[in-house]
Amino acid sequence: MSLFRKTGRGVVDDSKVINFTFDGKAYQGLEGDTVASALLANGNHLMGRSFKYHRPRGVLGAGWEEPNALIAVDRGKGRVTPNVRATTQEIYEGLKAESQNRSPNLKFDMGAFNNAFSMFFPAGFYNKTFMWPKSFWDKVYEPFIRNMAGLGPAPDADDPDVYASTYGHCETLIIGAGPAGIAAALSASKSGERIILVDENAHMGGSLRSTPNIEIGGKPASKWLEASLKALTKAENVTLMTRTTATGYYHDNFVALAERVKHHIPNAKIGKVREALHRIRAGKVILAQGGIERPLVFNGNDRPGIMLASAAQTYLGQYGVAVGNEVAVFTSHDSAYQAAFDVADANTRIAAIIDVRSTIRDDLIMGATQRGIKIIKSAAITKTFGKLRVNACEVYEPESGKKTKINCDAILMCGGWTPSLHLWSHSKGGIKWDADLAAYIPDMPNENAVCIGACNGDFGVAAALSAGHKAGGGRKAYKTNEIEFGSGVVLSSLPSYLDSSKQKAFVDFQNDVTEKDIKLAVSEGFKSIEHVKRYTTNGMATDQGKTSNLNALEIASKAVGKPIEKVGLTTFRPPYTPTTFGTFTGYRDNELFDPTRKTPIDPWAEANGAAFEPVGHWRRAWYFPKDGEDMHAAVARECKATRESLGIFDASTLGKIEVVGPDAAKFMNLMYTNPWSKLPALGCRYGLMCREDGYIYDDGVVGRMAEDRFHVTTTTGGAPRVYRHMEDYLQTEFPELDVWLTSTTEQWAVIAINGPNARKLIEPFVEGIDLSPEAFPHMTLREGKICGVPTRLFRVSFTGELGFEINIPAHYGRLVWENLFEAGQQYNICPYGTETMHVLRAEKGFIIVGQDTDGTVTAHDAGMSWAVSKKKRDFVGKRSLARPDLVAKGRKQLIGLLTENPNEVLEEGAQIVDDPNQAIPMDMLGHVTSSYWSEPLGRSIAMAVVRDGFDRMDETLSIPMPGKVIKAKVVKPVFYDPKGERLNVV
Amino acid sequence: MFEIHCPYCNEKRSEIEFAYAGEAHYVRPTAQEQTEMSDEDWSRYMFIRDNIRGEHAERWWHNSGCNMFFNAIRDTVTDKFVMTYKMGQPRRTETQIEAARKNNAEQKAKS
Amino acid sequence: MSFDQAIDIPEIFDADDLRVTLLKEKARYSLRLKSQDVTAIKKASGLKLPAKIMGSTRTKDIICAKLGPDEWIVIADPTQKVKLDKTLAKVSKEFTCSITEISHRNVGFEISGSEAAQLINVGCPMDLSLDKFPVGKAVRTLFESASILLIRTDEHSFHLECWRSFGPYLRDFFARVISTR
Repeated sequence: MSLFRKTGRGVVDDSKVINFTFDGKAYQGLEGDTVASALLANGNHLMGRSFKYHRPRGVLGAGWEEPNALIAVDRGKGRVTPNVRATTQEIYEGLKAESQNRSPNLKFDMGAFNNAFSMFFPAGFYNKTFMWPKSFWDKVYEPFIRNMAGLGPAPDADDPDVYASTYGHCETLIIGAGPAGIAAALSASKSGERIILVDENAHMGGSLRSTPNIEIGGKPASKWLEASLKALTKAENVTLMTRTTATGYYHDNFVALAERVKHHIPNAKIGKVREALHRIRAGKVILAQGGIERPLVFNGNDRPGIMLASAAQTYLGQYGVAVGNEVAVFTSHDSAYQAAFDVADANTRIAAIIDVRSTIRDDLIMGATQRGIKIIKSAAITKTFGKLRVNACEVYEPESGKKTKINCDAILMCGGWTPSLHLWSHSKGGIKWDADLAAYIPDMPNENAVCIGACNGDFGVAAALSAGHKAGGGRKAYKTNEIEFGSGVVLSSLPSYLDSSKQKAFVDFQNDVTEKDIKLAVSEGFKSIEHVKRYTTNGMATDQGKTSNLNALEIASKAVGKPIEKVGLTTFRPPYTPTTFGTFTGYRDNELFDPTRKTPIDPWAEANGAAFEPVGHWRRAWYFPKDGEDMHAAVARECKATRESLGIFDASTLGKIEVVGPDAAKFMNLMYTNPWSKLPALGCRYGLMCREDGYIYDDGVVGRMAEDRFHVTTTTGGAPRVYRHMEDYLQTEFPELDVWLTSTTEQWAVIAINGPNARKLIEPFVEGIDLSPEAFPHMTLREGKICGVPTRLFRVSFTGELGFEINIPAHYGRLVWENLFEAGQQYNICPYGTETMHVLRAEKGFIIVGQDTDGTVTAHDAGMSWAVSKKKRDFVGKRSLARPDLVAKGRKQLIGLLTENPNEVLEEGAQIVDDPNQAIPMDMLGHVTSSYWSEPLGRSIAMAVVRDGFDRMDETLSIPMPGKVIKAKVVKPVFYDPKGERLNVV
Repeated sequence: MFEIHCPYCNEKRSEIEFAYAGEAHYVRPTAQEQTEMSDEDWSRYMFIRDNIRGEHAERWWHNSGCNMFFNAIRDTVTDKFVMTYKMGQPRRTETQIEAARKNNAEQKAKS
Repeated sequence: MSFDQAIDIPEIFDADDLRVTLLKEKARYSLRLKSQDVTAIKKASGLKLPAKIMGSTRTKDIICAKLGPDEWIVIADPTQKVKLDKTLAKVSKEFTCSITEISHRNVGFEISGSEAAQLINVGCPMDLSLDKFPVGKAVRTLFESASILLIRTDEHSFHLECWRSFGPYLRDFFARVISTR
């Protein structure tokens, strides 16, 4: 057993030795230890280097507030977790921990030269220094800053671990299982309602574990705790969650709980949940987060061995570890005396209690006297000594001017307490300044929530227990024999004879912000605490200023010359403690990140070598390369095959909405620019949809199944927004109409068959439909059967060829496709993808909404005035189409472009100008919206929106590109079969 | 994440089931009104919203729920829903909103 | 290849405390009815249409659930399809309403076992405790980004449907949860 271990205490098991390494060196600890407690038990205080000056640092605290002792836990490739607090990482057999922010090692760190030159690194140093010359930025400044920036190693491989996420519900969520939280759970559990009690630590109990000898109702705290936890474990309505941090508190009592499931398990297997995010909706939230002790800001307050008094108490009470052999205590608050007494009672020598105050409570003096502890009143520590560990301090008594050097291997400091308002503030609960506590405490709640115990400013075990019981609906008043928690003074500056500019008095230990830095920021004109924070970076490290915010505020308020409550408090934001990306991601990585929707025919496309492209949530077959073809070659072949004989295309992703009811036509008339009343049953019509602003929103073929039933199709990407648009108008503006909408996108698989042999292909499979051109003309639909399954068969064409769109119930989609494909072999049937579909339609000048239109194009601009009814009194967008700017000259209009060099394919998005020799910036007329190589035409084709394009027919325009100017002639955007004769091949 | 009371389901549901749908009580002019409206008035209807600080009447859509659009009063200062009500019901008066606030407070006190 | 829902169910979906099965072929209809006609339509069709939103009824072959103020879904065994087609066509003619067949729009899972609610709560924000979500309750809600229809058929049993193309996503999600628990 090591020198500093006091056996028989706390949660550690004296009989279970655990081996672990720190910076490659082997250490032994006990089961139940954290890395910090185990290292301290080995007499090792040096655990890290500070961020800016690389000063050697030990632990400041014993829990989640720890700013100094950050380690990386190395579990192999892709499984290195940086910035873990040594104070919270439980040790397990084989744990590999590494210190951070040092090179080559912790004891000798090259970066520490920053410390020697610290007078050159004041607040705002980076902002002030790396300004000029500009040319230095890339080569000198940025590499330098990058090298210095960041805490811990970034991962260099994918994280193979599994993270979980889930939703949960309870009537009462209690956060923090210290005395207040446990008492609240005990009384709330009586209700029979669902209670969740969470604690970030491995064991519940909070401060009770640090003070096991206090008696609660005559029983030792440890016994009370054991009995209480047993009762809660037994209660079926209570869920206890340890190693679980409430990281964020959101609207309406929605709280994120991050559970570390496997952080304490040796050789945790890959493939099982490592961390879990519980998204809890609670009826009521009881916050029992406790308080955090405040450091004292004095010269040299950051040497290893100097820590919070409560931390020493915790190491002793919870882990049986003494933090030194000879300990000095420096305080401005009564609570440090209990810590000093606990340490003394465990046979550690207290060198002295140095108290900045002149008057000290009698019971504290008596307690010290009984233990033979010397108290030095009205005094302060002004210097500390020791390189990698404190070995002495200088005590200064301003009244006499006396300076004494006191030997010590640890200093416990206490500058008062800060209630933990983090989650309360996330919930937008009000806060108010409490002058007695010199701290902010909760004011009015914003949610159904209450703060109890230390986080409400009610310090001491008895107060916490009673407040807890009350919050849980009970009325029990607890009695303890603890020393009165008491009070303290807060001094923005501790007495010192040293010039303040010569002192290194740290406020934010992790970001190396000193008292001097904060004063400098104020003197340079930063008066708002939010600005002071950003300029000095105080509170912006991974600990978010848990130990530094109030001290910084105190110093800033004095420097500004305003009372604290007028200076304000920086905002607390989630997460409460650093949380891994894995936790936020949960299960949703890789293929689970977002659904990839696949059509019924997708498996066939995959088996037949399709290249895919994403379209909205869908993945669609893009083209079907053969024998090492590139996209260009594949698309040229697919286009040719379709125009010459037969192409087959999966159009299942088209959005479909069934519009049904006696007022269906009336509704269609309002939603689309076209007229619908006269479309007969079994007729089809191209529909164009506007928003109320008059711009094109969507388009698609609509079939009228019956007088009161329309089968509407939308673009693939537009399906959800068109459905919403329709529902919105129907429910909000036209509720009097008897019509209903049903999304049927996924009810139907859609197979488009195009080409001169289309009819011949399907004829043998179709039952109950006369396919002859006379009986089944273009732009009509029929119902019948194909391959024995029901079909809605549309005779429509998006290619200009004879075409059919076969709708069949989705689960039969693949059956029909495979039958047709097999039979199509005699016609050299060619499966084609979205790219060929785009080319074929561009050859015909059919627009793609969102490609040839961009939300500022009207039907008229697109050359589609024919689709806008002149007779309808009303439709969505009608009034806007008469807006002056939509009828004015100078609008961009959709035209075709033919390049002078037929082999030149324009780039989509390329800008178009009149005179390419004009001065830059040029007057841009518009841009290319669609551009392809057309195999059937043996040349390139393009569509573009061009200012007053309709008036520019046959003009030659210029498209300036890097190194050249491309000339193109304006034409009508119909390149192939302008008379539409190919629709009628027999 | 809000919990929003859907007036059609008559229960509170998670915000992710809903979509925001803009300020409420902007009634689309009839065909007749549209023809008679000046361009200025039409552009005001189309593009100008109050974006008020405080009690904002707005529409929400329970799209991953009952599929109904409804109205809500949300306080843009506290970011809290004061009340929700069915589509087609008139704009809520100050008195009604105050009563809803009071009722909410009582409900909270009860739990 | 004929009737194809494109979802394979792995062996791990059959545990003592958690079973996920893919529902076989169903006939499904979306009904949009005027409230004043519901009683008459119930009588005419024989369908046990629930009166209350989020309510459902279940017979051996037919589930009826009310998902919106005027919206019902009917999920039936395929043996009922011919009869239902006929009945509903008649209803369509006689009443002002919308009846649309959506048999193939959805795929369905049955999720059962003591851990069933837990699995659904992985991605679904509803409170599935028995008093908040009693047997028979039927809602449209979400499982992560997929819209789902959820009906509690028993204390430890749920009927869950989604649009066809979201089926594999849910299957993959369930597989991840089950294989890593």
